Amino acid sequence: MEDFEQQLRNALGRKQQPPTFEAKVFAAVAAQRSSRSVFWRWATEVAAVVVIASGFWMGYQHEIQQRAGEAAKARLEIALKITVTELSKIQKTVRTSTEEE
Amino acid sequence: MTFAEVLRANQSMVFSLAFHFLRDAGAAEEVAQDVFLRLYQKLDELDGPKHATFWLRKATSRRAIDYVRKRGSRPAIALEDIAEPPTAEQPGDPLLNRRLRQLVATLPEKPRMVMVLRYQEDLMPEEISDVLDMPVRTVKSHLQRSLAMLREKIDRSMGDIR
Repeated sequence: MEDFEQQLRNALGRKQQPPTFEAKVFAAVAAQRSSRSVFWRWATEVAAVVVIASGFWMGYQHEIQQRAGEAAKARLEIALKITVTELSKIQKTVRTSTEEE
Repeated sequence: MTFAEVLRANQSMVFSLAFHFLRDAGAAEEVAQDVFLRLYQKLDELDGPKHATFWLRKATSRRAIDYVRKRGSRPAIALEDIAEPPTAEQPGDPLLNRRLRQLVATLPEKPRMVMVLRYQEDLMPEEISDVLDMPVRTVKSHLQRSLAMLREKIDRSMGDIR
């Protein structure tokens, strides 16, 4: 049995890899590294565009809200002025009628 | 431990493991390249040269088995037509060695990988069990059955030659 096992060891001894093997592996590693760096450059550019666009969008939204708030404030001021004017008219009317009595 | 050091120390082992299992030098080279590319990504996680060698044996075994499953059960080339890559020194009878390699190639996937790890890498059943994630008992049983079958076939075929 030992003889047979030794024959198997002889038969299944290590083989020599092709002479270009090492160079091919290094080339594949370099290609993988450069494709990764291209991906990361692309991803960074996309992320920058997204950040800038969202900044513009938030600024635009803020301005719309600010304008809407100012318009509402102006309407409220007009409404208050009208109310004050109407109230003083009523007050005058009441005072006049009380004096006549 | 740099990638180049690990590659130089293990390229023959990885290529031979894939070649003895696949019996196809082109496929073995493809598998070995793929394994080293994965190693490049994993290198930081590996704890020294021994761990790297263990990881390479494991990765090559898995990748070679996957390769056969994807390719289907048919061998790419007839076993007799396979061009043998060079060996540094080949002790023993070249005809017998060739016949034994052909017979090992006819074994089912798992027992074949067990035989290659045992007789190419000289691993003990416990080490093979770690590499293949297989119980030691199963490894031993694959070894016994494969040895008996190969011995019977080689006796028959060498008897025919004589």
